[in-house]
Amino acid sequence: MTWGRFLLLRLAAAVAALAVVSVLVFAATAVLPGDAVGVLSGADTTAAQRATLRADLGLDRPAHERYLDWAGSLLRGDLGTALVGGRPVSDLLADRLPNSVLIAVLSLLLVAPLSVVCGLVAGMHPRAAADRAISTATLCGVALPEFVVASLLVTVLATWLGVLPRVSLVPLGGTPLDTPEILVLPVLSTVAVGLAAATRLIRTAAAQVATAPFVEAARLRGVTGPRLALRHVLPNAIGPAVQSLALVTAALVGGTVVVETIFSYPGIGYELQQAVANRDVPVVQGLTVVLAGIALVVLLLADVVARLVDPRQGRHP
Amino acid sequence: MTHHIGRRSMLRGGLVAAAALATGPALLAGCGSDADPTPSTPSGPPRRGGTLRAALVGVGAAETLSYFHGGTNLDFVRARAMHAALGNLDPTAPDGVRYEVLEGIDVSADLRSYTLRIRPGLTFSDGSPLTARDVLYSLITPNDDPRALGVYKTPGRNFDLAKAEVKDVRTLVLPTLAPIADGRLLLCQGNYLVLREGSRFEQNAPTSGPFRLTTFEPGQGTALVRNDEFALPGLDGAYLDGLELRNIPDSDARASALTNGQVDFAGDLAPITARTLDGDDRVVVTRSESPYVSGLFFRLDMTRKPFDDPRVRTAFKLAADRQAMLDTVLHGRGVIGNDLLSPGFPGYADGIEQRPFDPDGARALLAEAGARNLEVTLTTGPETPGMVEVATLYVENLKQIGVRATLRELPAGQLFADFPAYVKLPFAASFSVPVPPMPLYQVSYGGQNPSALGWNRPDVDALVTKARSTADPAEANRAAVAAQQAMWTDGNTIAPVFKPFVTATVPTLRGVREDLFEQFPGFSRASLR
Repeated sequence: MTWGRFLLLRLAAAVAALAVVSVLVFAATAVLPGDAVGVLSGADTTAAQRATLRADLGLDRPAHERYLDWAGSLLRGDLGTALVGGRPVSDLLADRLPNSVLIAVLSLLLVAPLSVVCGLVAGMHPRAAADRAISTATLCGVALPEFVVASLLVTVLATWLGVLPRVSLVPLGGTPLDTPEILVLPVLSTVAVGLAAATRLIRTAAAQVATAPFVEAARLRGVTGPRLALRHVLPNAIGPAVQSLALVTAALVGGTVVVETIFSYPGIGYELQQAVANRDVPVVQGLTVVLAGIALVVLLLADVVARLVDPRQGRHP
Repeated sequence: MTHHIGRRSMLRGGLVAAAALATGPALLAGCGSDADPTPSTPSGPPRRGGTLRAALVGVGAAETLSYFHGGTNLDFVRARAMHAALGNLDPTAPDGVRYEVLEGIDVSADLRSYTLRIRPGLTFSDGSPLTARDVLYSLITPNDDPRALGVYKTPGRNFDLAKAEVKDVRTLVLPTLAPIADGRLLLCQGNYLVLREGSRFEQNAPTSGPFRLTTFEPGQGTALVRNDEFALPGLDGAYLDGLELRNIPDSDARASALTNGQVDFAGDLAPITARTLDGDDRVVVTRSESPYVSGLFFRLDMTRKPFDDPRVRTAFKLAADRQAMLDTVLHGRGVIGNDLLSPGFPGYADGIEQRPFDPDGARALLAEAGARNLEVTLTTGPETPGMVEVATLYVENLKQIGVRATLRELPAGQLFADFPAYVKLPFAASFSVPVPPMPLYQVSYGGQNPSALGWNRPDVDALVTKARSTADPAEANRAAVAAQQAMWTDGNTIAPVFKPFVTATVPTLRGVREDLFEQFPGFSRASLR
């Protein structure tokens, strides 16, 4: 498959996926109990006033018409306005997305090398002591809910030892980087979960490659240890590794609701949760679609990177 | 009310239960409340200077500076810091209120006219004078705003604001819509704050309160500095140089931030959080006491079977093991309820016998009503600490009397988010804030208020109107007691326990209570020693 055809197909798939996501998001928010009228009106609002408000907001129109209006606005770059507070959704996104991206980038900087090393160490020698230790640890990491990991870290590092702040209070008028210590616990929490998931995926890929004939041949030639892992196994296992890291990245950029909530960190995941609680449909719709778009872009880039680093993919028909 | 999201929705809805009028009077919360023994509280004159960092419950990026729209703890604490109040309820004061912007309120003999006298020499943060026109503007503005919380429209429901007359820069005359005797209490609940005429909720708008805004970051916090123009008799400006209000929605996180040294004040703590802080020398825990407590209650829709039968309603009331709820959920730090709201306030019918825990009696009443194999679902949510836990115990109580009861717990913020849907629930949980019983009835029960879930008793409405419009205190009290007796006997509210408002602070902080409430604490008299 040529690069042009490859990219075209991937882009088409991403666009189709985004369209499907937009329909699902719209449908999901449409079936939430209550609607914008419930948010905007008070207890003393009469039924007639509610009906008028519903008509003013266009909520009395058929769902497909409302969807097309909404999708059209999205294509024009208009994400809508929050029902609660009246802020443009794009402003809210601009405020909070960088904070979540920061956590994601810092986490990825730790997860990527650590997961590759751990995955290779475990995958190169299946059922060896190192593999058992890493597999057991990562299994625990995957099994433990984020809030448990975060709570454990808080208990040890903030409560018992008192070396880190319990709450990630961003300085007013500043950024999280002004007080980097507030990032440590959220990043460690996301790293613990992301590292476990990525390591297991990379370990599986590495274990498969490690039993391949060309790796065995390398061993027979006397290539062992890091040289075997980095020269022969990693290049051939990196495709799945990139994909697994891309999945972790997409999840991190979307914000981790639990971690952001536990640490009161002002990220996009927390805002999404707040918007759902407030029945703030434009915010839920806008944030969800944008986050889905980001995830699709990350996965698309991962496809490209995986193809670049693994020449075999280019030879597939 | 407190706690994040739900509170917003609840207030927006006019407060399902107790609260509509509530937010404001809730300001009373700290008023006169007795604290736990706090031997480490510093003594001596307050010291000037320092910046207080307070952790409170707010919302996310949807937060705005308009307290008319926001119903969270943080929204109103910020508003109180920025804008001066007409007055606060103070049972120890001659009129039952401590005036702030107002010098006093004169009531006409026929109870049809209230004359508000503004203190001389008051100014906004930009040096412009605070006048009667500003006060009138502040009372009228929320009435024209369809999204304003119901509590801020209360003056408009009692006074004919369109016919209000500004006599001079310091005198405002408000005619009443009907004779009322409790207008002072109504206007001086602490929640009626003074904006400058024509101003909007913008960052650079001049303010009348002890602090002025410097930084506002929605969902994160607010930084304020002392407003040097603010002064009241005996109070020459705030003691603090600055105030930083931070949004930390989780109760445990607020407590941890306090013990970690990230903040100096943690507001609205859950009972279990407070218990973990008791005995910690690094902090001082303060619990409000009756009447400044919040009711955790349940309401039955009287228009639906089987709750249209008073025997079934009474059975449900007898089924509640109030002592167990108090001991288990509130760790013994609260007030046993008697299915009436506002315990401890003047006008509360404390002479009515305490309803017992009587499962046998409840079973007998259900049998008499023919309500066998009754199946009910109680809907609740973690809108305020303790709410779900009390509901959980109550469902078990109902099972003990043979009711097949289940609990439907909604996620945080969901219970009141869709108010029209909430008022259609047959059996729902709610919570109240401290408000005197008769004003509360007017707002949340009277005139077939939807939040009252089918309560429709014109005769009781009339008793409440009489209680509020009678100048003779004894006669007014008789009417109030009669109204509450009817509610106790026939009502659809099961109010088993009332919880205190809990705050924790660094030991060096003082003067918060002097601002007359703790649910929405004020810091005009606070100092760090």
